[in-house]
Amino acid sequence: MRALIDLIIHNKHWFVFLLLEVISLVFLFSGNGYQKNVYFTTANDVVGTTYNVISGITSYIHLQEVNQELEMTNEQLRKEVYLMRQQMEAMQRDSLKRMPALPQQYDLVNAQVVNMTLHKTNNLITINKGEADGIRPEMGVICSRGVVGIVYMTSRHYSIVMPLLNVNSKISCRLRTSEFFGSLVWQRGYANIAYVTSVPRHAPVKKKEIVETNGYSDIFPPGLPIGVVQEIGDSPDGMSYFLKVKLFANFTTLREVSVITNYSAPERRMLEEMAADPTKQDSVLINQEKDLEKKIETTETTINTDSVR
Amino acid sequence: MNSNVLMRIGRLFILLLTQVLVFNHIHLFGYITPLVIGYMVVCFHRNTSRVEVLIWAFAIGLLFDMFSNTAGMAAASCTLIAMIQPVLLNRMAPRDSEDDLIPSFKTLGFWNYTFYVLLLMLILHGCFYLLDALTLVDWPLTLLSIGGGAIFSTLIIICIELIIRAPKDPEHHS
Repeated sequence: MRALIDLIIHNKHWFVFLLLEVISLVFLFSGNGYQKNVYFTTANDVVGTTYNVISGITSYIHLQEVNQELEMTNEQLRKEVYLMRQQMEAMQRDSLKRMPALPQQYDLVNAQVVNMTLHKTNNLITINKGEADGIRPEMGVICSRGVVGIVYMTSRHYSIVMPLLNVNSKISCRLRTSEFFGSLVWQRGYANIAYVTSVPRHAPVKKKEIVETNGYSDIFPPGLPIGVVQEIGDSPDGMSYFLKVKLFANFTTLREVSVITNYSAPERRMLEEMAADPTKQDSVLINQEKDLEKKIETTETTINTDSVR
Repeated sequence: MNSNVLMRIGRLFILLLTQVLVFNHIHLFGYITPLVIGYMVVCFHRNTSRVEVLIWAFAIGLLFDMFSNTAGMAAASCTLIAMIQPVLLNRMAPRDSEDDLIPSFKTLGFWNYTFYVLLLMLILHGCFYLLDALTLVDWPLTLLSIGGGAIFSTLIIICIELIIRAPKDPEHHS
């Protein structure tokens, strides 16, 4: 027994070493416990605040570039306003013409990038808005030029965004002219290049064609620009195209982003979950019934109070 | 004892801030990023309690991880070099040197010190980038990141050493 204790005391550094390594690896591989991870990432309030202060100071360096970008966006918007006005006039003149379905309005929450990596395998962006501003995981993030990424985890005042530049990011997209769809992936290396896979071989693909979101997922509305086709290649199995895409979003100077907060429809997600997993159907239906009952109750009470008045 | 701890805390925060604010934004050729936090481990003098070295290394690694969204990667790598540092320092130290020898150019000699730093940096970057990639799919890039990062960090640490220890030299010579 004594010998054993001596052995342990003599080699205690080995035990400490193993313990610390195990702790590190648990942090590393507990990628699924998002909420747990918040304490060890930049979604943490202390770290987030530090970065906020630093970014407040350094943002002056990029002001010129940001200004230019804003001017460009302004110009584009002015053109659009002009076009819209023309269209409106044309429609008012002929009131019999049916109005096309107006695009749904999306609520955008503007946020600033406070921290970002570009040269890792799993790049992440930290922004200075969080749950308090209505941001939840799996919301789409865009900038003035195009798609940036998807919200990955949130704390009260900060969120971490998984940008397109992450090997785990996969966004469904389509070619603007032919509407053939594929999925956008990234490979480690360049911060402005991504790849579109699984576009069928019979699709007419040209260089300089614009790649945009296709609206199949409930994260991005359809038609948001992502990038432009730069090179056309074949996938390793030869069954589909493998397109090299130059991204519109300039990640190296990214400061201002917007989060789309009200696009994802819970009803649609529920339906899709139900279709994928039939065992869930009962519980979902029960929940729906409960919701309905609640609604009926509240309407009844309001009616009652109204009648009392 | 206390001043030693205070000095280490100061060193930890200075290294952490320079790493997070400056070196994390350097991407030489797009893939070489130096991990200068390893200097924390390089500095420990001989016969420091090994547990102490391990805990300091783990602390700076974990703090770095919090700032750069690399949960556990730097902590694991720093702990690994903290395990190797005492053994390596013992090997590199001249036979008739004092017990609490502080690793520097003066005590180890220029080439020995450079080799000592380079070896630790290679292990640190190797562990860090292998945990980052977790595959060997794009191994040439990973290899370049490891080698380039290690050499670059070694150069930076040599510069830091030269700057910190330079003013003391003339006094000793005179």
